[in-house]
Amino acid sequence: MPTATAGDAVVRKLVTFGRILREAGLEVGPGRLQDALRGLDQIDLTSREEVYHALRCTLVSRRDDIDAFDMAFAVFWERAPSTAPDQPIDLGFQASTEPPKRVPSAAPAKDDDRPSEDESPPVLVASSRDEVIRRKDFADMTAAELRRVRRLIATLPSAEPMRRSHRLRPGRAGDVLDMRRTLQAAMHTEGMPLRLAYRKRKLVPRKLVFLCDVSGSMEPYARAMIMFLEAAARAGRHVEAFAFGTRLSRLTPQLRDLDPVRSLRLAGATMPDWGGGTRIGESLRAYNEEYGRRGLTRGAVAVVVSDGWERGDLRLLDTELGRLHRQAHRLVWVNPLKGHTGFEPLAGGMRVALHHSDVFVEGHNLAALEALAEVLTAL
Amino acid sequence: MAEPRSIDELTDALRNEAYLADRGLATVMSLSLTLEKPLLLEGEAGVGKTEAAKALAAVTGGRLIRLQCYEGIDVAHALYDWNHARQLLYIRTIEAGDATDAGRTLHDVFGPDFLERRPLLDAIEHSDPVPPVLLIDEIDRSDDEFEAFLLELLSDFQVTIPEIGTIRAERRPRVILTSNRTRELHDALKRRCLYHWIGHPELDREIEIVRARVPGVPERLAAEAAAFVGHLRVMDLAKLPGVAETIDWTQALVALGQEELEAGVVDATLGSVLKHHEDIERVRDAGLRELVARARET
Repeated sequence: MPTATAGDAVVRKLVTFGRILREAGLEVGPGRLQDALRGLDQIDLTSREEVYHALRCTLVSRRDDIDAFDMAFAVFWERAPSTAPDQPIDLGFQASTEPPKRVPSAAPAKDDDRPSEDESPPVLVASSRDEVIRRKDFADMTAAELRRVRRLIATLPSAEPMRRSHRLRPGRAGDVLDMRRTLQAAMHTEGMPLRLAYRKRKLVPRKLVFLCDVSGSMEPYARAMIMFLEAAARAGRHVEAFAFGTRLSRLTPQLRDLDPVRSLRLAGATMPDWGGGTRIGESLRAYNEEYGRRGLTRGAVAVVVSDGWERGDLRLLDTELGRLHRQAHRLVWVNPLKGHTGFEPLAGGMRVALHHSDVFVEGHNLAALEALAEVLTAL
Repeated sequence: MAEPRSIDELTDALRNEAYLADRGLATVMSLSLTLEKPLLLEGEAGVGKTEAAKALAAVTGGRLIRLQCYEGIDVAHALYDWNHARQLLYIRTIEAGDATDAGRTLHDVFGPDFLERRPLLDAIEHSDPVPPVLLIDEIDRSDDEFEAFLLELLSDFQVTIPEIGTIRAERRPRVILTSNRTRELHDALKRRCLYHWIGHPELDREIEIVRARVPGVPERLAAEAAAFVGHLRVMDLAKLPGVAETIDWTQALVALGQEELEAGVVDATLGSVLKHHEDIERVRDAGLRELVARARET
């Protein structure tokens, strides 16, 4: 094997390097290391650039990991002093702000042995106690109540807007003649295609993109919303979630984390903004540039959760929301304050939002989230 | 044509095909040849991902087999299908005669004669002296099911057609996959591939590319056009222009007999660089004259 020329020292070094990359969150298995080793064997080891690219193309497989790789490469292979000694490699979930202490999911592990009522089919209104909690404003809830809400949210029917795919599947009647099956049937009728088989378009889940405001004024609702997102993200790969306050962060990977308690804590920690001010326009711009440009919004149902209290430029909000709206299949705006009696969408941002939204719903309590799931499914 | 042995050789050979690869891309392409691993190229639209495959085919002397992915692509489009019209005709002809052996007919009808080869089968079953280059373009447009199917194909380079049997590639085709990153591909698929991200080129390289791709372009025009597009890329636009746009645009300018950038003509031809109405407006608002002046300074 090529290792003979690569030499033991290189192998050892590479293995250590692989470990560092793994700590930085890259998925580096033995297969990849072996490829990297074979790669090193093919190139000029004295050329920094060739070594760099031989390692990068074998050990990195997504754009977002390139920065982490570059840092690790600089430090490890070139012994360069880390430019930012206090934050060697950004692991993505070590934000400097203290983790939210009141995250309801930091519930004790005994939550896992749920009361038996939860195992019954999802009859949502299980008791009058649940009914009260369904109607209660998230802002008025105690930590214990929020924990209950979390269990109830998990039983909500998942929000799944569907669309017709271009992929075909067999059907008795349908859009396209299925020649293969028609012909097979014709074999039994002396080659006469008497019975025609069709294929029809399959329904697949439409992409769902959530953009959730986690700034100060939204705090009590954002927590419940994150729980909702967490349940939605589990439904499948078609769901993407982002949080924003003064800046945007992507939540999807944290929400998919299999351990729900950890996932919420991570999600909280990834959002340095938790409870800060809001710059909706700027955050949407960040989203449009980084993700929208790549086509994430195209054909998707975009859901913005915010009270519309824009601290930034309203014109920017108008432009960026317009961009989002044009690319999306439907734009849904969820405003928890809408559920409050006497609510008038007077916040400047809210007027802009109404102008661009296809659907405007409330989100202040569990019943509202139930309704939201229904609205989304119907789109 | 002999396969390039070293990275330098490959770089030169690609250059002869008017494809200017930087050191990184050349290294990765060379590794994908020697390690016989598929190469996954990601990058913004118009940075030359597809062109890389075409150039590689030209350099190795292999045939380019292209599979354009789209939503809903399936085995019948990508691998093989039966020629149903021929099958039917054949069956009818047999029927018209009298010797009808149903089993025999069935065997014939689902034989190689009636098989329609699609790009993937073509790439696996080839009998070319030089392995072909299989370009799987815009894989991110296909769906999960197709990705899973590709994964299987890329691990063993063999496919099974139930009616015929297993077909194995005698010499593996060179495989290049491209993705615009409209969605993240499965890790399992990525694990099979070498990965390279192609960014927008540096100014000098872009000028070189334009000069290589647009014959007869005045040196000055190439430099100014590349600089102008470079300035556009740092603006807040819905769609950033790629190298492909720089080339298109320079071609347009050459066709109009331009020797250097001039605000009036730039305004009239802006549509070959920017493809969104708001982007064009935004650039006009930013002051075309100034942008042109800045590009001419470089």
